[in-house]
Amino acid sequence: MSSHREAPSISLDPAADSADVYAFVSPDDPTTVTIISNYVPLQAPPGGPNFFEFGDDVLYSLFIDNDGDALPEITYQFRFGTTYQNPDTFLYNTGPITSLTSTSWNKRQHYSVSVIHSKSKGKKQDHSHDGKGTVLGKQLACPPCNVGPRSTPNYPALAAAAVHTLPGGISVFADQRNDGFFVDLGAIFDLGDIRELNTLHLIPSPTGTSVDPLKSMNIHTIAIKVPISMLTKDGSVPTDPSQAVAVLGIWAGASRRKVYVQEGHKKQKSGPWTQVSRLGNPLFNEVIVPIGDKDRWNVVDPIDDKGFAKYVKQPELAKLLPVLYPGHFPNLAAFTADRADLEAILLTGIPSGIVPGFQNFTSSKPADMLRLNVAIPPASNPNALGVVGGDLAGFPNGRRVFDDVVSIELKAVAGATIPLVAPSFTPDAAVGAVSSYLTPGNDRYQSTFPYLGQPHDGYDTPSS
Amino acid sequence: MERLNRRSFMKIAGAATGAAALAAAPPIAKAAMGEEGAERTHPTASVPEEPLVAYVRDAARGEVTVTSGTAEHTYRDRVLVQRLLRAAGRKGVS
Repeated sequence: MSSHREAPSISLDPAADSADVYAFVSPDDPTTVTIISNYVPLQAPPGGPNFFEFGDDVLYSLFIDNDGDALPEITYQFRFGTTYQNPDTFLYNTGPITSLTSTSWNKRQHYSVSVIHSKSKGKKQDHSHDGKGTVLGKQLACPPCNVGPRSTPNYPALAAAAVHTLPGGISVFADQRNDGFFVDLGAIFDLGDIRELNTLHLIPSPTGTSVDPLKSMNIHTIAIKVPISMLTKDGSVPTDPSQAVAVLGIWAGASRRKVYVQEGHKKQKSGPWTQVSRLGNPLFNEVIVPIGDKDRWNVVDPIDDKGFAKYVKQPELAKLLPVLYPGHFPNLAAFTADRADLEAILLTGIPSGIVPGFQNFTSSKPADMLRLNVAIPPASNPNALGVVGGDLAGFPNGRRVFDDVVSIELKAVAGATIPLVAPSFTPDAAVGAVSSYLTPGNDRYQSTFPYLGQPHDGYDTPSS
Repeated sequence: MERLNRRSFMKIAGAATGAAALAAAPPIAKAAMGEEGAERTHPTASVPEEPLVAYVRDAARGEVTVTSGTAEHTYRDRVLVQRLLRAAGRKGVS
């Protein structure tokens, strides 16, 4: 998965498990950028009576580097709190929830948003101001989870009411959404299978059709829409994609207090915030970093990624494909040089001169961040394959909610992007067949903020 | 990592946390204050929110880390470490 349960430690801590990060120029408001980070992955919608929620003891962060040094100049942080209207009932709600102030809504969450502006310099990310930023908004209501038609009869109205406007033209939303990520989990983790290519696999079986288990699952979303002028280094709204100032590095992190002391049913906390999860490019920790290093990757910062570059230069998956699909990736198997194409896509950004009209280079310093060139306007006819599909507004130029990052990264690892740096290389014919083979339904997304679709309700999902 | 002497340890720990916080960890507090011995507290006694926590980070180096609120300081205090080890029923470090 993109980063759902991707590392041993964080797979046991879903409230802090950063599952996806998206960053894109807002299609309906192109003077702004929307950044989304998702948590609490793989939610089965009927999961009550304590429906899913953010962690009150987690500090959620969105980091923005606007000068290419892999250190955040702007950090937005979110803290949540939970209250009960009636502690004497087991019910999440005691009647229909018809508004965000409905007295029948028992267990509810609210949150605060703060910002930290840093003139960060040096070789380490400074976390000393974590949790101490300037408050932009507080006591902001989350909507409830989508329980079912009796409890949340007009869920879209509840969600719409939970889009809050903050000073400076910032919009925020936090709570349950439809998970926009799509992949055939059952196949891909069954020894790298793609059902449509079953007959070609080392352990063959009859051809099948890819299945998307995430199409019926929800996730918890933190979304913020910010004017571009508030994010760029010089306060401009760049229109020239070749300008360095047009590129933002973006990643998410989740932190917990360093010490927890369980005293009876109460959990005491002490010490500084300590990062337990992070995410920039989709699938980086999931597929690139080996299991013995995944937990360490989560707790360090992008500026510390030099030690992980070796996994990008010689990715395990590129070695596995010729083994799992024998005879179909001979050119990939013979290519032993470091993967400069993947280094550019994932660690440095793509420099000018590689893809006509595009660059999202930050520096030669390897750092896993989404890199968004805000001078590239939203596509009028988006292609889910992003830059690989000729759509410069999509991944790896940031990441949109509908981008088919599984297909893009599978194709890239399989050799599709090697010719960008080694023109004499010919990708294997099988690269064209490597795909997610999935087309998500229209319910997964919406055209307006927060862009991920309404969550599935627990009464109707699953439907049988 | 900060390394301070025992006096500054007392000064900063006390100033940062106050008496109420110190009371959350009596064995450690008493040891830090130089009192002889350390008494076990009842494990079910209530504790205030945001307790002061001290843990032996590196016994061989005599290092203790103290957290209070979101602050964290690491001190070198071999005497304190020896007392904490004894309170925990472990052998001291020579």
